[in-house]
Amino acid sequence: MTRDDVGIVVVSHSRALARAAIAHAEQMLHGRPVRIEEAAGLDDGTLGTDAVRVADAIVRADGGRGVVVLMDLGSAVLSAELALDLLDRPLRERVILCPAPLVEGLCVAAVAAGTGADRDGVATEALRALGAKQDHLSVPAGAPGPDADGDGGHGELGGRFEVTWPHGLHARPAAVLVQAVREFDADVQLRDVTVGGAPVPAGSLTRVAAMAAVEGHTVEVTAAGPQAREALARVLELAATGFGDLTATAVGGRHRPPPALVAGRG
Amino acid sequence: MGDVDVDGLVRWMTRFAELVAVHREELTTLDAAIGDADHGTNMDRGMSAVVAALDEAPASGADAGDGAGVGAGVGAVLKQVGMTLVRTVGGASGPLYGTFFLRMATSLGDGAASVPDEAFAKALRAGLAGVVARGKAEAGDKTMFDALAPAVDTVEAELARGSDLAAALAVGTVAAEAGRDATTPMHARKGRASYLGERSVGHQDPGATSAALLIAAAAAALPADSS
Repeated sequence: MTRDDVGIVVVSHSRALARAAIAHAEQMLHGRPVRIEEAAGLDDGTLGTDAVRVADAIVRADGGRGVVVLMDLGSAVLSAELALDLLDRPLRERVILCPAPLVEGLCVAAVAAGTGADRDGVATEALRALGAKQDHLSVPAGAPGPDADGDGGHGELGGRFEVTWPHGLHARPAAVLVQAVREFDADVQLRDVTVGGAPVPAGSLTRVAAMAAVEGHTVEVTAAGPQAREALARVLELAATGFGDLTATAVGGRHRPPPALVAGRG
Repeated sequence: MGDVDVDGLVRWMTRFAELVAVHREELTTLDAAIGDADHGTNMDRGMSAVVAALDEAPASGADAGDGAGVGAGVGAVLKQVGMTLVRTVGGASGPLYGTFFLRMATSLGDGAASVPDEAFAKALRAGLAGVVARGKAEAGDKTMFDALAPAVDTVEAELARGSDLAAALAVGTVAAEAGRDATTPMHARKGRASYLGERSVGHQDPGATSAALLIAAAAAALPADSS
């Protein structure tokens, strides 16, 4: 028996838009049976939203673990709110109206739901959905980065590391970096200077992984705050081991975290 | 003195539908200036559906779906009006007017075939509170609230002074129309018009316009000797 995933409802003025967005998101599901229901348009051609249709869609999407509702704008939001009033209380409490962007949020929500995330986890991921596009298109910060080990002049410390291991700063090493950074009372930012991208917060796994710093790139690290020095030192220390990837490679491919990481945190 | 009964409500809705149909182009034009040009179309579609639903209900013996059915009280009729608008209007006016009538229905309760004037005024107040809860508008945001709120305030004040409902609604209509006119110089802070910002200034709000028609329709329809 398959475990029921969190369900998703798409509320839009346009039925065609909702169906296309759902088809697009389903491409990322690779067959996982996430329930995504549409409540869009007054009919196939007439633009508008209908709270009763939204309520019905929520009922269909619910598998007991909750429903995340995504909306376009204006009356879609009002209709979704009114739909909650039409549901019985137990179901109403399992529903969250998520103010994520519709298309981007739906893709992310579908993937998150398909991996078994709970309702709040799906909604949180959907809210971050614009991050990749914003990072990609944003203008790099004005001033050039600080010299290695120098003070950036803004109370910041900085350093750099080379990505010398295969596959670069992908999800697994990124997770190691993020966990390490979160140990410290410091604001740590990373920037792929080879690509010239905008700084990303080192505490966000989505943002660090999205930076996609590959082998051969140089990453600049800046840190500010009470434990800036310790945080920077830790990141550079871990970078020397490829956040675990270099050590695994050095011992012939069997993945094993270096001793420093094991001692680090529970 | 009088009461408001089911026949009165049906007359109100019929009159409102007529006014919306007559003013459909005007409402659409106003909405084209500061919205998405569908308020007239949406309200006409919604109120046509309301009139059709109310026409059907007395003919059916039993309860017609979520319809009023024979012997339905004033609350059930207003609930039917509200749900019909929710389903058929399409734009923001659907949930907004829908909530207005649903809250009126809750205020009046299920059973009564007619209610005293004061209960009707209380229901108008509950309906207005519903619009505020749903749309989160405040005075001066350039919305239907800017016509509805002065009307409800006035009806309450007039009844408290001893006027009957017909007179109170007549004065309420004047207040609603003044409120509608006052939206013209306002800078929109809600709805599609708010995307226009400064460019919304100088245009009468379509929602306030239809709200003034709603009150005018009540004034025309609710006195018991209206035809």
